[in-house]
Amino acid sequence: MPMYIARTAVETEDQSLRSVELAFQHNSDRERFFSGYRPGQFCQLSIFGKGEASFGVASAAWEGSFVRFTINKIGVFTKAIHEMQPGDPIGMRGALGTWYPIEEWKGADIVVIGGGYAFTTLYALTKHLLDPKLRQEYGDLTVIYGAREPGLFLYKPEMKMWGRRDDVTLFQTIDTPREDWDGLTGYVPTVTKELAPRADKAVAFVCGPPVMIKFTLPILNELGFPPERIYTSLERRMKCGIGKCGRCNIGPKYVCKDGPVFSLAEMGRLPAEF
Amino acid sequence: MTKILPKADLAGTIDQWRAEATVYGPVRRGDIIDFQQLTGSNDEALTLDANSRYPPKALFLPQSEAMFRMNGSGLEPVEAASSERIVLGIRPCDARACQLLDGVFAGTEYTDPYWSEKRRQTTLIALGCTDPCGTCFCTAVGSGPFDDRGADVMLTDIGEAYVAQAGSAQGRALLSRLQDASQEQVDASSEAQAAARAAIVKPFELDDIKETLYGLFDDAFWYDVQQPCLGCGVCTFLCPTCHCFDIVDEAQRGERVRNWDTCMFRIYSQEASGHNPRPTNVERTRQRIMHKYAYFGELYGEVGCTGCGRCVRYCPAGIDIRQIIRSSQARG
Repeated sequence: MPMYIARTAVETEDQSLRSVELAFQHNSDRERFFSGYRPGQFCQLSIFGKGEASFGVASAAWEGSFVRFTINKIGVFTKAIHEMQPGDPIGMRGALGTWYPIEEWKGADIVVIGGGYAFTTLYALTKHLLDPKLRQEYGDLTVIYGAREPGLFLYKPEMKMWGRRDDVTLFQTIDTPREDWDGLTGYVPTVTKELAPRADKAVAFVCGPPVMIKFTLPILNELGFPPERIYTSLERRMKCGIGKCGRCNIGPKYVCKDGPVFSLAEMGRLPAEF
Repeated sequence: MTKILPKADLAGTIDQWRAEATVYGPVRRGDIIDFQQLTGSNDEALTLDANSRYPPKALFLPQSEAMFRMNGSGLEPVEAASSERIVLGIRPCDARACQLLDGVFAGTEYTDPYWSEKRRQTTLIALGCTDPCGTCFCTAVGSGPFDDRGADVMLTDIGEAYVAQAGSAQGRALLSRLQDASQEQVDASSEAQAAARAAIVKPFELDDIKETLYGLFDDAFWYDVQQPCLGCGVCTFLCPTCHCFDIVDEAQRGERVRNWDTCMFRIYSQEASGHNPRPTNVERTRQRIMHKYAYFGELYGEVGCTGCGRCVRYCPAGIDIRQIIRSSQARG
């Protein structure tokens, strides 16, 4: 569907991550999108001449009539999107794929664990849960968010606000101590182990670089989270986004349409090709 | 309904079909047989005594196909060919492959309009294999030299003529003008079919191949079988069931196109971050074999290989999928 850039914002001190908020050219598209979109899903963004690529949605529906993506400048397409200005047209397909199934876990405590710039869809999830109409339907909301250094955290103004709220407990951690940082230090798996969020009535949503996920999942197991209550979002190179072009499969599942969100229980039934 | 098509009448019959449809058939150019439109001027090169080097999947999934065009104001669809099509001389393994790929492209969740429209417009006249070659192994994968499941018409060569059996309403309509076959001719076709089935050596039994391969997922087996592999991708490009594609913009032509792609290339699964879940030929070979012999069956209920033997015949490194399956069974 045809979209345009409504706002852009640089997220990280090294300028490598930028958020773009896309608005709809047609009301019918907007209505269709928001009738289906759930946090955890992704869209295909399209710039003719540069191609198409997949990005997780980094906004909650109640934030407004826009769709946010936070994009790392890493190749031809993402460089082009970093250079776009408000008003520029851009194509979008979606929302595609599965979502973080919070509707199945009403009443549970929610533990969100993210690392680096993979925090985007977890941000959408947390923001979604902070909707005043929804927040009371869940128990404690804990967010553990790690970055290499303070300047690489996304959504800094929002993080400040979360830090002051009493309906969300935010822990931010950086890899190694620094003089200008008085928060937690250490890698996400280690910090998760130390913080030891209660597992007895909690569900965990984990997303980050492969190495973070790999070491965090066993810790959650140790803390008493069963595989059915741990969800993660996988990344794969994608083209079509609808399970036809072939490349994003893990065994018989396509990450684009059977994922990207999988429970650890589901992943346990797939061949270990990550 | 069993009809007879004398070989002497074939040229005239093709002319009749051509009045109503675009007709394609296997045409020899030099050493290579490939499916081309039969225009009249190339009918003499029609070659029905051996299967084509390239599978006819390109008639439905072209190697490069425009999906839409960009003009100044927005997207415009690519005009689809509107005429009916007849494909003459497709082999049962390749017709069967089209049927298997319907599972992928005409699936219930998302229907691929490019594939489905071409399929709907096309009648497949299959030529059964009375003279299977040494690399054929269709009988091992649940098919056979006269498997008519993907065909609208099945032809059996009985020497002077083809015995023609319709397998669909489209096929019956196409054959309506032909004479009925005599009992003698029908008997001759049954004999030819039985002889062909007996001639194909089954290199393996499927047994519990899915479980066998899953059991070997992390085994050094994959290292051993991929050792000669050059990663050239010929096995996938010539495979009638391989359907992976890439999507790229041809900016100068103003088109977004999809091109055949292959799981045997590193870039295929290489992510922007640099991470690659299939970093070497070991994982890529495992993907190719397991997609056909494990994952495809889990999704669509059938093995995703039709035993055409092209990957065996044309692999420059001599890798033989029949041997891989046999070895997996010996190992697992």
